Amino acid sequence: MSQHPAQDPSDGVEITVGYKALPGQQDRFEKRTVEPKTGDPLPWDANTQFQVVGTDVARVDGLAKASGRAKYAYDITFPGMLHGALLRAPIAKGKLKALSLDEASAMPGIAAVVALKEVGNKVRFVGDAIAAIAGVSQHAVRDALEKVRAEYEAEEHNVDYNVAEGAPLLDANGQVEDAWPEAKEIEEALGKAAVTHTGTYRTEVQTHSSLETHGGVAKWNGQDLDFWMSTQATFGVRGELARALQGRGIKVGTVTIHAEFVGGGFGSKFGAGIEGLACALLAHAAQKPVKLMLDRFEEHTTTGNRPGALMQARAGVDKDGKLVAWDWRSFGHAGFSGQGGSVAVPNYYAIATKPRREHKDLAIDTDPPRPMRAPGHPQGWFGVELFLDELAAKAGIDPLAFRLQNDREQIRQDQWRFGAAEFGWEKARAHQNAADARWRRGVGLASARWGQLGNQGRPAHGATCRVHQDGSVEIRSGSQDIGVGLKTVMAVLTAEELGAPLAAVNAIAGHTSDPSGPAAGGSMVTPSLAPAIRQAAYRAKLQLREMVAKHLGVPVGDVDCKNGKIGTGTAQLPWAEACKLIGPNPIDVRGERLANFEKPFHATQCGAQFAEVEVDTWTGIVHVTRMFGVQDCGLVIAKKQAESQVLGAMIQGVSYALHEQRIMDKRSGRMLNGDFLRYKITGPKDLPELRCHMHSIANGHDSVGAAGLGEPPSVASAAAIANAVFHALGAPVRHLPITPDKVLAALASKKA
Amino acid sequence: MTVPPDRGVSRRSFLKGSAVVGIATTGLDAAAGAVRPTRPASFGPGQHEIALLVNGSEQKVKVETRTTLLDALRDGLDLTGAKKICDRGSCGGCTVLMDGVAVNACLTLAMDAVGSKLTTVESLTDKDAVHPLVQNFVQCDAMQCGFCTPGMVMSSLACLQKRGKPTVEQMKHDLSGNLCRCGTYGRVMEAIERTAQAGGK
Ligand code: FES
Ligand code: FES
Repeated sequence: MSQHPAQDPSDGVEITVGYKALPGQQDRFEKRTVEPKTGDPLPWDANTQFQVVGTDVARVDGLAKASGRAKYAYDITFPGMLHGALLRAPIAKGKLKALSLDEASAMPGIAAVVALKEVGNKVRFVGDAIAAIAGVSQHAVRDALEKVRAEYEAEEHNVDYNVAEGAPLLDANGQVEDAWPEAKEIEEALGKAAVTHTGTYRTEVQTHSSLETHGGVAKWNGQDLDFWMSTQATFGVRGELARALQGRGIKVGTVTIHAEFVGGGFGSKFGAGIEGLACALLAHAAQKPVKLMLDRFEEHTTTGNRPGALMQARAGVDKDGKLVAWDWRSFGHAGFSGQGGSVAVPNYYAIATKPRREHKDLAIDTDPPRPMRAPGHPQGWFGVELFLDELAAKAGIDPLAFRLQNDREQIRQDQWRFGAAEFGWEKARAHQNAADARWRRGVGLASARWGQLGNQGRPAHGATCRVHQDGSVEIRSGSQDIGVGLKTVMAVLTAEELGAPLAAVNAIAGHTSDPSGPAAGGSMVTPSLAPAIRQAAYRAKLQLREMVAKHLGVPVGDVDCKNGKIGTGTAQLPWAEACKLIGPNPIDVRGERLANFEKPFHATQCGAQFAEVEVDTWTGIVHVTRMFGVQDCGLVIAKKQAESQVLGAMIQGVSYALHEQRIMDKRSGRMLNGDFLRYKITGPKDLPELRCHMHSIANGHDSVGAAGLGEPPSVASAAAIANAVFHALGAPVRHLPITPDKVLAALASKKA
Repeated sequence: MTVPPDRGVSRRSFLKGSAVVGIATTGLDAAAGAVRPTRPASFGPGQHEIALLVNGSEQKVKVETRTTLLDALRDGLDLTGAKKICDRGSCGGCTVLMDGVAVNACLTLAMDAVGSKLTTVESLTDKDAVHPLVQNFVQCDAMQCGFCTPGMVMSSLACLQKRGKPTVEQMKHDLSGNLCRCGTYGRVMEAIERTAQAGGK
């Protein structure tokens, strides 16, 4: 595509969408006619030649992070700043019977005490917040917390999903015993199927375990509040806080959220939460800045989780291995709210009769779920993909052949074939473990999908671009970079569009004083913001071109901005020289996110992953030895950072498959492993050999065609590992995490 | 080793203090000429001023006997590179070097660090000099959210200083006390390897 603006794009422009052949496969290009909106640059497409986009660039805030100088909310300090902490309920269900804060507030060094519940209020889980205290040091606050007099009226609680109201009955093998509700068509199809299968699958509650806990620093200036918060939704928490404070009768002027660096979120940090409100209230009461960060136990037990699930499937295939019937029911492990436990399942396997998919959430007296990296997906994909491998094995079909037979998505068909060749599927799958071998090897695969490609927001997401006469460029968004590389993406897009040197661009994100943008959720930030960022840079470019054209005495239409030079033919100005024409007031423009084009190349992102495991049959310990992922990632903007995200998702998948589970004490209703010693996440020694192929697809979605990578690579990993374990053992482990006890039980069941 | 008596300590504590220091300094290079601070005279409740030898210079900080080295560095000296992530010695986010050995600052009492040479992540980056290991962390993109990164850098530094050219297994061993939720382990090891190859420590 030309770099020049469309003079009259109303007739539409033709772009090429799709992708270049994956090795060994075919090109999949298509033409589209799109209508760029007024004020937008011509869209990038599959034929665009880039200078900066897609190259290896260093993370723009990499040095700040690696040098320890990056200031996260947790690191912010002010002179005279106080420390805050919360008093948490020790019971899982009941009422607050009495509360006295007098003794606590009289303790040395205590500056403010705030009740968060009133006598008579419900206590809904262990860790429900009761009161908050601020004082001169963490020690002073901890001492004062012990002096709060709180009494509770406990009621009978339940933290066990197996006996929650509405939970299905399980037999001795953990299989659902309840009969399936009537479904004539499905039963007929199953009756005619060549092979049928049924199974029950379970996953446990996983905590987000962001390394920076929730919290931040609140600082009032009269009625204005500045809040440095560990959040993944700057604008969302801004509104939430303002409302909550007003609800408590506090006059609120401007609320500004700052989240320049955020130590992970993974879906748990969309809200200001009780800790955010408490921090602002304490700072207001003390008239001093207050820092309130949760500790690790609070983080595990009060800031949400990925719900566990109980899933049951039955299905059948015909003699060719085609799916003819599908029946599914799932139960989500919600907390006290009884909501948020939903399970997602693949919808691209062709099924001859109308499938049934039913879901119900079960409530128990714990902290409720929050979205977590591809909410509902890893659990559902584990259930479905392992079930399909079991069904394929019964029918005597290789899992890959089975996918190729039933998967309707062309993109994934290519990914299956290419990925299998790259991974060495055939050879690895043919490997025979000796009957008495201690170490058994196996390989498995699983599919992935994610269905969000960004939107314009309301009001439209924006970005500000400023070009200064010293040649420096600012690109600003109020959205937050929680580690995905948003700031790097902003800088790369700006440098590409402006033709400026990358080093001249400063990307600033995370302050709500800058243009509004989306929360870091649903893999939406990059695709939602990228076109706004590009448009901002484009508008700045138009102004700069005009200045340069005038200066050089050439027609503006001939002036190009590329590789740090602006001009035409031999009349070129280096970037720094050109910027001198700007004068003391910078070029200062705003880009907006306009509506998506109609008929994109595809509306969902596809992926496939392959895993190899080695199982020690004496101890039951599973090692993931290698993994390979093929991931549709739209236009790759910052290559290294995009890869980091995909590889990181695969490591999290290993963790989910083998290690993570919240263990509740039935009697006290308390989490037993609310730390990092007994709640295990994958560490360096568990690291498999990891590789990924970034499958770049021009999706024709908007002027950039970016895609997010938070969720898409998080869907398949645990399922692929579970399938590899099934292959290694010859018996499935249908319950995540795949811990040694379950492996040994599966081996024993095979012998029996 | 001489400790001038003008540090506000009594003669008795001076003698006691130097005895402690004497043990702690065995085999150490002479802390860039800085004078080794001593422990305070008494260990009762309330605040005490101690001096820590951090990144080559002596820094005064008020602590209680129960204050951890991590809280002293962060709250007292505004050295916020080391992070409190688990507060129980299981994540490595608070790693600093104490007399050249990687320790969990959350498990070390500030007073027990008196007399030791402390190195924090901040010391590896100057206005115009960036340690090759830090550079390689950036080059290899050995970070995402970056919250574990300072701890990773310090454990990697200890690994390099101890082993010169570590094998993959040795790297995994030396990093095994560090957790990263974003999943950057592979790239951290790349950064160590690159640094080792270039002979940097
Ligand atoms: S905070 Fe010290 S090891 Fe985790
Ligand atoms: S980079 Fe986020 S925890 Fe390691």
